[in-house]
Amino acid sequence: MTGGQRPARPGRRALLISAAGLAAGAGAASAGWSLATSPSVAPDPAVIPPDDDLMREHGVLKRVLLCYREMTARIHAGGPLDARDLHDAALIIHDYIEGFHEGLEEGYVFPRLVHAGRLTSTVTTLLVQHARGRVITQYLLSQATAQGLASPPTRTRLAAAMQAFERMYEPHEAREDTVVFPAFRQIIPAAELTDLGQHFAALEHQQFGTNEFAAMVTRVAGIEQSLGIYDLTQFTPEVSQYTAPLG
Amino acid sequence: MRQGSAAEPGSVPAVPQRAGLALIAAAVIVLACGCGGSPSSASAAGAAGGTQPPRGRTVTVMARSLPGVGTVLVTSQGYALYVFANDDRRAVTCTGTCLGTWPPLMLPAGGTLTAGRGVKSMLLGSDPDPGVGRAVTYAGWPLYAYAGDVQPGQASGQGIDLNGGYWYVIRPSGQTLVSAP
Repeated sequence: MTGGQRPARPGRRALLISAAGLAAGAGAASAGWSLATSPSVAPDPAVIPPDDDLMREHGVLKRVLLCYREMTARIHAGGPLDARDLHDAALIIHDYIEGFHEGLEEGYVFPRLVHAGRLTSTVTTLLVQHARGRVITQYLLSQATAQGLASPPTRTRLAAAMQAFERMYEPHEAREDTVVFPAFRQIIPAAELTDLGQHFAALEHQQFGTNEFAAMVTRVAGIEQSLGIYDLTQFTPEVSQYTAPLG
Repeated sequence: MRQGSAAEPGSVPAVPQRAGLALIAAAVIVLACGCGGSPSSASAAGAAGGTQPPRGRTVTVMARSLPGVGTVLVTSQGYALYVFANDDRRAVTCTGTCLGTWPPLMLPAGGTLTAGRGVKSMLLGSDPDPGVGRAVTYAGWPLYAYAGDVQPGQASGQGIDLNGGYWYVIRPSGQTLVSAP
């Protein structure tokens, strides 16, 4: 259904069992220590590297941006839009991207780059954009109601907010994928990357439980289906007009 | 009220078994307490975490008027300090990835806590942080910086609903400023 089920992380089970034992109040640092000092957790060389994990989460973000684009087009065209779709799309951003993914970046990736004197100006911009995005999302969540969508001025503001969000996050995530994460990988020793990948997995489990990524993909796929943009074939262009005539 | 002087031992406990994770934890601590960050406009993450001096030093909570929110508590470097509604004046409940976005203002081991002008010293205290060390409190509220404030004098986290609850700046009186961003 989703077309994107996440493959199981080999060896992750033991890690998650250990992570589940973490106290609810354990912070990132203490979680790291718990994992580090747990004899039941062995290093897992097959764990998803942290930068790959973050880029995978960007895939969810990208799909929500595509939903925003479709919803914006519908508003501009005066078409129907289910408030539940908009609310759920914004909620995925709020909970998974802003409340989790960006916390990983702000807690683990950006500080290391800043400490290394790498991309400091870019990091500053990315942090500002995180903050601005959260304001937009809060607005979208507050107005994504049937009443809000019935109001022409509110519809216009919602469309503008989604457009602003999309315009900011497309270059934002592209820059992170192509510049920020590769720079991060350059400055982190390979062994530490493996540990960090395990730590990210533990944090994901702590916050969302098991199969969190697959659950998010399923949710966003449901919104796409509701909007009629799930079927990939509809995006395949007709190219006969671009082919050179024979003879 | 939870009064606190620096009672905890070292803020960076040794991790004897896995040096790699020790480094990772240290990185978190760097963000959480700003131990190693060089606060500047170019080091936003470090600046956001630029909330704790090295071990044994003094942590001063100041009051400053910031655009849009009026006079609120700030770090000695001028970064806005926030409270998390979910903490309910009891304890630090921001954990996990929340710490990356909202690094607590930490009181280092052997450190002292002082009130800047306009700040009531009797409202200052500290709580055990679930991560490391002690988090500075004011009127019982654990205090946090915000990663989105990349320069002193900003309060871009005011009224944000994130990581399970709302975040507000706090006045020297101990009242939180409950308003939307």
